[in-house]
Amino acid sequence: MNLVFDIITTAAILFSVAAGLLIILGVLKIINFAHGAFLTVGGYAAFVATQNQINPWLAFPLAFTVGLIIGALVERFIIRPIYHRPLDAILATWGLGIILSQVITLVFGREIQFAQPPLSGAIDIFGVGYSQYRLFFVVAAILMAASIALLLKATRLGLEARAVIMNEPLARALGINAARVRFVTFIFGAALASLGGALITPLTSVDPNMGVPWLVNAFMLVLVSSISLRSLALASLVLGGAQVVVSTFVSPVIGGLTIVALAAIILRFRPKGFANE
Amino acid sequence: MNNASDSMALSNHVNKKRKVKGVLLSAGFAFALILFGPYFLDNYTVNILVRAFVYAATALTVNILWGYTGILTFGQSAFFGVGAYAAGLLFTHYGFSYGIAALALCLGILASGLLAWLVGWISFYQGASPLYVAIVTLAFPIVLVQLLYSGGTFTGSSSGLVGYETFDLSVHAWFSLAGGFLVLVTLGAWFLVNSDFGRVLRAIRENEQRCAYLGINAPRIKTLLMVAMAAVASVAGFIYAGYTVVVAPEIAGFVFGTELVIWVALGGRGTLLGPVIATLGIDLITAYLSGSFPYIWKMFVGILFVSVIVLLPQGIFPPIWSFFGRRFKRKDSTGIVPQVVSSEMGVVKNHAATQGRPFVLKVSSLGKNFGSLKVLEDISFSVKEGELLSIVGPNGAGKTTLMRCLSDGTERTFGDIQIEGHVIHRDAPYELVSLGLGRSFQTTSLYETLTVYECLRLARYGLDKPSMTTTLTSLSLPGPAMRVMSATGLDADLACEAKNLSHGKKRALELTMVLALEPRVLLLDEPTAGLTKPERTLIGSILTDLSSNHGISVVLIEHDLDFVREISTRIMVLTQGKILLDGPVDEVVNSDLVKTVYSGHG
Repeated sequence: MNLVFDIITTAAILFSVAAGLLIILGVLKIINFAHGAFLTVGGYAAFVATQNQINPWLAFPLAFTVGLIIGALVERFIIRPIYHRPLDAILATWGLGIILSQVITLVFGREIQFAQPPLSGAIDIFGVGYSQYRLFFVVAAILMAASIALLLKATRLGLEARAVIMNEPLARALGINAARVRFVTFIFGAALASLGGALITPLTSVDPNMGVPWLVNAFMLVLVSSISLRSLALASLVLGGAQVVVSTFVSPVIGGLTIVALAAIILRFRPKGFANE
Repeated sequence: MNNASDSMALSNHVNKKRKVKGVLLSAGFAFALILFGPYFLDNYTVNILVRAFVYAATALTVNILWGYTGILTFGQSAFFGVGAYAAGLLFTHYGFSYGIAALALCLGILASGLLAWLVGWISFYQGASPLYVAIVTLAFPIVLVQLLYSGGTFTGSSSGLVGYETFDLSVHAWFSLAGGFLVLVTLGAWFLVNSDFGRVLRAIRENEQRCAYLGINAPRIKTLLMVAMAAVASVAGFIYAGYTVVVAPEIAGFVFGTELVIWVALGGRGTLLGPVIATLGIDLITAYLSGSFPYIWKMFVGILFVSVIVLLPQGIFPPIWSFFGRRFKRKDSTGIVPQVVSSEMGVVKNHAATQGRPFVLKVSSLGKNFGSLKVLEDISFSVKEGELLSIVGPNGAGKTTLMRCLSDGTERTFGDIQIEGHVIHRDAPYELVSLGLGRSFQTTSLYETLTVYECLRLARYGLDKPSMTTTLTSLSLPGPAMRVMSATGLDADLACEAKNLSHGKKRALELTMVLALEPRVLLLDEPTAGLTKPERTLIGSILTDLSSNHGISVVLIEHDLDFVREISTRIMVLTQGKILLDGPVDEVVNSDLVKTVYSGHG
């Protein structure tokens, strides 16, 4: 039973961490290598909340807002000039990641810090005691997925974003302001990344490079999902589940590599990944 | 005429010799600097430079992969680490001797070569996104470092291996060794990127899809290049381990891997000296500054890197060089004038061998679906030797899709294709080219930054294997290709970059490139689109000559019924993904059905 909970909560964690990356890749067709740095920013937002003894629940809106602001600056000055050079965008966002992590180091120092979880302790569920906060993650991931889906399906902007995803030249010809759609998408994706960082922080700890290990797993999941939210959920469940199983029964080190290795093999034989045609 | 071309060849030879001489002279000068440098520098700087030399050699391999071939790699550090750990592990566990050192060097090269092959196999397949290799090479060092961490006392885990016995050499000797290695790698790189093979690499960077249709197996070339560059990086790692007497997981990690990319980007991707200078410079400054302002310096490099990527994609040095280049323009710029000579077409030789076969191209019940949409359905036809088959039909009938299915074995959903009696399974385009298929595109697909001569040399890739060390300055083309060139005046533009040609000449170049492949079956997708009347007539007469005098089968997509009527031996009408009519010219042109399809009334 514990294993089942581990698998479900791990999938929820992976989904929350990767969602922001997926959205940006879908609309802008660039891989945001600063995603790891945005996760770190969110982690430090949670840390600041703990430091100032603010209610830990407020860490999440705080992280989201900080992500929005930094995302807006980054989109305007880095992404916009080079968005049609996807390989260079990888490099520029990577460089941005270096800058952000150095700034964080200058402000907060290099040492590992901790943030307080809004929920602590275990709860009895189906006869086993399980971490409340990890279970909360399932709720958070579902809320996140629902709000993204709602934004895409029920708002004018979401409609425009979907049009840009499907066929950008046509969308522009129909009078959709693609630049604005890209801007909003990028800052939303950055804010989601930052929120994801704040969510995972109570489970681990914060340091200036905390985002990087998550970055690679998030990429692999997004790549096998072919920019579809449903596939991302499925990929998180399957690959995250494999990770939990391997970590539990083989070794945690090899478990940590499961997602990367499996995703690479899946993509080699089925470039579409989890998406159907 | 003959005399003129002889003297041209002679002057090319002299120019090339002069260029090679210049490079060898600079290399000699660099060797001298490295031999005497330590006498003028303080010990600290010498120490830093030894390390910087091996880093710069590794950065050069990143530059060949990314700057010249377009493979963005974050994983070159892993191969460096494999070479270093091969030395560190063997020296720690088996002691030092020259035999062990040689073994470590070989094992390092072998292991990194195998790993590079694996990375290449995962990353490069037909149609793989160029972004994908960046992710794979990012994940690869992370995996490697995790394995090093979990190696316990064998790999020294997170603190690595320290203080093993190594070569008993002075710092000066290490300086010469590492510096000499860097100069040799740079020299080798110069010959590689200036060779015919180097041009193939640039072609892959510019337009990989076109390469496939010229018979170039780009995934294989990229994998082999990756293996070769991994071997060089592993040797650099070996020198590093021998000199520093420390190997730690960081040197195999992706942070170092990305630093290599940053140095190359700052110095100027696709230039040889820029990345070397940038690596040496940044490493020296880092050594002097990181003591006092570690984070600020690193942040500054990050800001510089982002600004260069956004504002100066070519790096810092190329704009400076071109500025000085303009001011001190040398009189004898290496004016190598390429030339093209005619050759007999290889086809004539195979003529007898193929005569027994009834069909050169045979298609049976071919179909193509996009999801639930049927774009082509039950297409069966065959083309005989020397036939000129035109495919006509309204827009959206599936003509170009049919071309794609014929030229790429992975495209179709159902059906069988045979070329010259060979059954096409899921063969990639470059394999079909070697069976004798040539395809031109509806929208011109060329190598924008390569010259006409270079484009044609690429088209001869399969027939005249490119050299890894030199460039040839003359090229022999089959007669029909020569005819297109001289009739369109393209032979006067050999040194002109493809992007500067007029539309007509671009189409002519596209056709010449396909003819240079010496195909048995020619698939042409609207070869005369956007051309003037005389140009069309010319292309028409060349096509009829190809089919009737050279025995080449031509399959042609066209919109202009009059043009088609003049040149074809057979016409096939395609509507809504099905063959409506297939027969001799007059029968099809005069049929009521065609009149209905084309003009909307009967």
